[in-house]
Amino acid sequence: MAKDASSGTTSLVSRPVVVEGEISGEENLHVDGRVKGIIRLAGDLFVGANGVVEAEIDARSIVIQGAVTGKVLARRQLEVQSSGRFSGEATAASYEIRQGAVFEGVSRMLGGKSQTEKTINSVELPAKK
Amino acid sequence: MFGKEKTEAAPSGAARSDNDTAFFGAKLSLKGKVAGSGNLIVMGKLEGEVDLNGELVIAPPAVLNGEMRAVTIAVSGTVTGTLSAGEKIHLEKSAAVSGRMNSPRISIVDGATFNGDVEMKKPADGAAPSKRAEKK
Repeated sequence: MAKDASSGTTSLVSRPVVVEGEISGEENLHVDGRVKGIIRLAGDLFVGANGVVEAEIDARSIVIQGAVTGKVLARRQLEVQSSGRFSGEATAASYEIRQGAVFEGVSRMLGGKSQTEKTINSVELPAKK
Repeated sequence: MFGKEKTEAAPSGAARSDNDTAFFGAKLSLKGKVAGSGNLIVMGKLEGEVDLNGELVIAPPAVLNGEMRAVTIAVSGTVTGTLSAGEKIHLEKSAAVSGRMNSPRISIVDGATFNGDVEMKKPADGAAPSKRAEKK
């Protein structure tokens, strides 16, 4: 997971921890536990395989291995890895949705000439079991 | 006798891997509630409530405001509000606490600032809620 270490520290919501409320700051955040509420980051958000996030999110890049529900803005990229599940409304400059990932909801492109809008109804790519 | 699997959330023990220690960096601020069974190190701003079955470390430049409950609490940052620990509270030299402390053991290092009330007994409720079966 050696992403760019540009904006320094990565805070961690570990697996046995639950946060309810608003998290904001100029850091990266790694969630293995649960977060409910609002997340606003200058850095990246990484939701680990055990992470469950139910929030309004504004972050630079967002990588999902766990589950994310909510209205999400990724100023750079939204990546849903094969174990990841996203449901809600996403806006991102670019997307990467891996095979096996679940993406349910609306996706919009950020910045494009014509704010493309696509509605995808529960696209479940075949997950290998 | 019993399956040796399910050791999953072996409570406390403090010997759990680092991955059970949550960390809020200096540039992060949090408003709301943090609960759970791991340890937590806070260096940023936190306003609200912490309810932890583990160790809470408040390290500079942390600024906390609200009600903090944990098994042990070590402070070297700034806290306004209530600290309740099932086992102990320790204020380091750089700690600045105003409010209320409640714990059976309290230590304050020379240089620390503390203004407020102290009650030295186990917090009545939820004194180290050793293990609740609230795991999923």
